[in-house]
Amino acid sequence: MTTEISPEPASKTTTMTDAVTSTGSKVTRVLGALSLVSIALLLAFGLLVSPPEIAQGDSVRLFYIHVPSAIVCLYIAFSITLVGSIIYLRNQSTFWDLMAGAAAEVGVVFLGFTLVTGMLWGKPTWGTYWTWDPRLTSTAVSFVLYLGYLAVRRLDMDPVARSKRAAILGIISFANLIIIRYSVAWWRSLHQGQTLDPRDTQLDNTMLFSFVLGVLALTMTFAWLVIHRFRIAWLEHQLEAQQLELAIAERTSQGPTGLAHGGA
Amino acid sequence: MGGVVAILGFVLFQALTSARVFFRNVDEAVAERAELGDTTFRMQGVVVTEPAEDARGAITFAVSFNDVDATILHVGEEPSDLFELGMPVVVDGHWEDDVFVSQQILVKHSESYVADNEDRPGVGEGTDADSGVPLDDAETNDDEVSASDDR
Amino acid sequence: MGWEYVVPGYLIVFGVLAIYAVSLIRRGRRLSEQLPPEKRRFLD
Repeated sequence: MTTEISPEPASKTTTMTDAVTSTGSKVTRVLGALSLVSIALLLAFGLLVSPPEIAQGDSVRLFYIHVPSAIVCLYIAFSITLVGSIIYLRNQSTFWDLMAGAAAEVGVVFLGFTLVTGMLWGKPTWGTYWTWDPRLTSTAVSFVLYLGYLAVRRLDMDPVARSKRAAILGIISFANLIIIRYSVAWWRSLHQGQTLDPRDTQLDNTMLFSFVLGVLALTMTFAWLVIHRFRIAWLEHQLEAQQLELAIAERTSQGPTGLAHGGA
Repeated sequence: MGGVVAILGFVLFQALTSARVFFRNVDEAVAERAELGDTTFRMQGVVVTEPAEDARGAITFAVSFNDVDATILHVGEEPSDLFELGMPVVVDGHWEDDVFVSQQILVKHSESYVADNEDRPGVGEGTDADSGVPLDDAETNDDEVSASDDR
Repeated sequence: MGWEYVVPGYLIVFGVLAIYAVSLIRRGRRLSEQLPPEKRRFLD
C-alpha cells in the first residue's frame, strides 16, 4: 500500500507522519487475497473443470454464481441490515446505522447479480428470461424495496430522522425476504425448490464442489466489500462532524452576531 | 424517490394481477373448463406424448396431471431445448373447445444435476431414444409435480 | 449448449465486482485525505 507523505508542511489538521490514506487493513488485505484466490478457483471449476449437465448442458454453470449470490444477499447482507436497523432503533448506535447501510448497498449489488444470472439461466432452461412467478416477483419487489432503502439514506434531511426512517424500512423490507424464501413452498412455482435440501437433491460431486466454492468466494468478497463500504461511511460521518465543528468554531470567532445567525 | 415508488407500484400490480394465473394443474383446468371459458391462465403437467411440429411451426402434444390428460396446440414462441417427452411444463394459454391453445411453454427444471459424462458406462442405456433423458428421471419429475399438488 | 448465457453472466458478475471494489478503494482514499490521521485509523 502506498504511503503518501505531504510534500509541504502540513496544515494544522494533518501531520506528516502516518499519512496512510487507504481504507485497507491487515485483515482486509488477507481477506482480499483469499477472495481473489477463491474467485480464481471458482472460475476454474465453474467454467472448466465441472462437467456440463445432462439436460441443460453448460448453462448449469450459472448455478455456481446464481445461488451463491442469492445466499449472500438474502441470508447475510440483508440480515446484517435487519440487525443493524433494530439495534439502531434501540440505542441510536452510529456503528450499526452505518453498518446496516453498508450491508444493504453491497446486498443490492448481489441481489442484482441474482436477478441477472437468474434471467440468463431462465432463458435456456425455462424458455424465458422473466415470468411473473411468485419467487421471481417477490425477488423483484425486494430489489425495489432495498433500492428505496438506499434512496432514503441519501435524502437531504435531519440525519437522525433519516436514519430512523431507513431503519424502519430496513426491517419492513426483511419481511418480504421471508416471502421469497417460502414462495416456492407456498405457491406453485416455476422456480425449483431449495437446492440445498439434501433429501431430494441429486448433485454431482464436482458440481457440488463448484457450488461450495461459489458460496465461499462470494461470501469472502462480500465481507471485503462491506468492510470497505463501512469504512467509507464512517469517514464520511467523521468528515461531516469535522465540518460541523469547523463551522461552529468559525461562527463563534465571528462574535455574537455570527453566532446568533448560525443558531437559527 | 418518486421513481422508486412508481416502480414498486408497477411490480406490485404485476404481482397481484399475475396471482390469478398462478398455475392450475391439468385435472383442475379440465374440471373448470366451462367456467374458464376463453380466459388466459397457466396450466402445469407432464408432457406425455412425443411433441409433433407441423409445417407452420405449431406444436401438438398432450400433458397429464393426476391421470387427466389435455391436448395442447402451441402457437407461440419456440420453447427451450429442454422441452421434450417426460418433462414437466407450464403452458400459458386458454381453452378452445377441448384443446388448450398455448402462447408460451415454460419448462420446469428439477433439483437434480447430473453430470453429462461421456466416459461413464451406462449413459444411453435406459434413456428415451432421442431425448437423452433417462426414463426414470422423467418419472421422478412426474412425481415431483404430483407432490406439489398438495401445496 | 448454454455458453452464450454463461459467459455474459460471469462477465457481468465479476466485471461489476471489480469496478465496485476499485471505486470503493478510490473513494476511501479521497475521503481519508480530507481527515487528520487520528480520525482515519482502522483496526490493524
